Amino acid sequence: MTSDASLPSSLPDSPVAPPIIETHQTSQVRFKGEGGHILLTLPPESETAESPIGLTWSEIWQQFKQQLDAKERFWQPNTAVHLSVKDRLLDSRQLQAIADALSGVQLQLKRVYTSRRQTAVAAATAGYSVEQQSAVAHLSQSGGEAGQAMEEPMYIQMTLRSGTEIRHNGTVVILGDLNPGSSVIAEGDILVWGRLRGVAHAGCKGNARCLIMALQLEPTQIRIADFVARAPENPPAQYFPEVAYVAPQGNIRIAKATDFTRAKDEGKG
Amino acid sequence: MARIIVITSGKGGVGKTTCTANLGMALAKRRRKVAVVDADFGLRNLDLLLGLENRVVFTAVEVLAGQCRLEQALVKDKRHPNLVLLPAAQNRTKDAVNPDQMKQLINALARVYEYILIDCPAGIENGFQNAIAAAQEALIVTTPEIAAVRDADRIIGLLEANNVKRIHLIVNRLKPAMVQANDMMSVEDVQEILAVPLIGVVPDDERVIVSTNRGEPLVLSETPSMAGSAFDNIVRRLEGEKVPFLDLSVQNDGFFSRLRKILSTKIT
Repeated sequence: MTSDASLPSSLPDSPVAPPIIETHQTSQVRFKGEGGHILLTLPPESETAESPIGLTWSEIWQQFKQQLDAKERFWQPNTAVHLSVKDRLLDSRQLQAIADALSGVQLQLKRVYTSRRQTAVAAATAGYSVEQQSAVAHLSQSGGEAGQAMEEPMYIQMTLRSGTEIRHNGTVVILGDLNPGSSVIAEGDILVWGRLRGVAHAGCKGNARCLIMALQLEPTQIRIADFVARAPENPPAQYFPEVAYVAPQGNIRIAKATDFTRAKDEGKG
Repeated sequence: MARIIVITSGKGGVGKTTCTANLGMALAKRRRKVAVVDADFGLRNLDLLLGLENRVVFTAVEVLAGQCRLEQALVKDKRHPNLVLLPAAQNRTKDAVNPDQMKQLINALARVYEYILIDCPAGIENGFQNAIAAAQEALIVTTPEIAAVRDADRIIGLLEANNVKRIHLIVNRLKPAMVQANDMMSVEDVQEILAVPLIGVVPDDERVIVSTNRGEPLVLSETPSMAGSAFDNIVRRLEGEKVPFLDLSVQNDGFFSRLRKILSTKIT
């Protein structure tokens, strides 16, 4: 991609606009630092209003392991983990599997939040502190969160392989490559210190001022807010660090990273 | 009335996706309205073979979740607008959908399209059950190897048990020279075991690899190829035409005699 190449020009039959995606806190396995401990959230059981097609346990387990690997070096040893499973049913074997995987990276499962009695019993039997919350209380809580500011950036160090998807209510920084078939969906910007060859969707809740930048930008598709662009049919001979942004004309453009910052500075001065 | 055809094999790597892409494209060339459906959730490839990967915005999972309409998820082919692809989700597994949901999708497509080709994943687990849920007909793809034929036999049994009674056989990647030397199972050997009507024999062709990597099905190629015309013939037979099978061994002789003819004309 050359500097300022307007992507959509190579695709006259530009496809349908992508959705304004609600990156529900709950649609993915999440780790979050929270005042001295780590909060681990699992997506809710299937067939809720938010996601009619819920994740199965094996899918959750995959995500959990991937996230665990990607973030390992940010954790102090022996940090306590609080597990929030909402209305998801976990049996004692599954709880044990999570606890074992956590202790493998020197994290300790301490507390379990759940709205299901069976899960609460399983957790209590295994010796964890349990907090049983009613499902209703949880709904109102998540409703309150929707209007709030973006979360702090998510920093991950991994190669995103085909089929991996990262969703985050904020900016995502990836130290590694995005392979074709992987995707990152962020409410804020997406920074890739590596090759971006998958799908990146920045500003997924509709903020068109969000940016996508990569050392080597050769995406399958990039989306910013509800704009879509594809890479040109003929790839360029050489790649530079580039930035994708939405131009005032209302399409996605690509600029060399060096030119982009200069243009911004000039705009200020 | 739409024809809903699942393309399946049991064994992996025998050419299900290649067949789906080529047959879909060949039908579209004949001005049929075709929808090809990738049922291989988590390991989707059909979009790659059709060269449509970078046009995928929504997938079947988003349709089922109500996050978009079915028409929005369909990717129109850039060369033949008669052909659309319903992509599978890459970030989910085969457990993400169930046979009823798959049926619902396919039946919605069947109201608009004349042919619906379903690219089945390898194996006989959930993915297979999803892929065959709505099918009325099946094309079994096999290579002339005992492992592939054994798996195809099992698949035929499962299809019959699931009330898919109209089953045809495609023997893929046949090497006529090896068959003649008695080093490879012949089409007759395969048919003797499977006992379902043959609808086509596709010879092994290196150009399939090239076309796969380019995302351009072989049937679109300007220069005719044996594999490409085999796919064209399968489509004509699907539509009820009587087309004689390519006699591959004779074709081979023909090629050499033609070569000899070319050489001799150049000398004179």
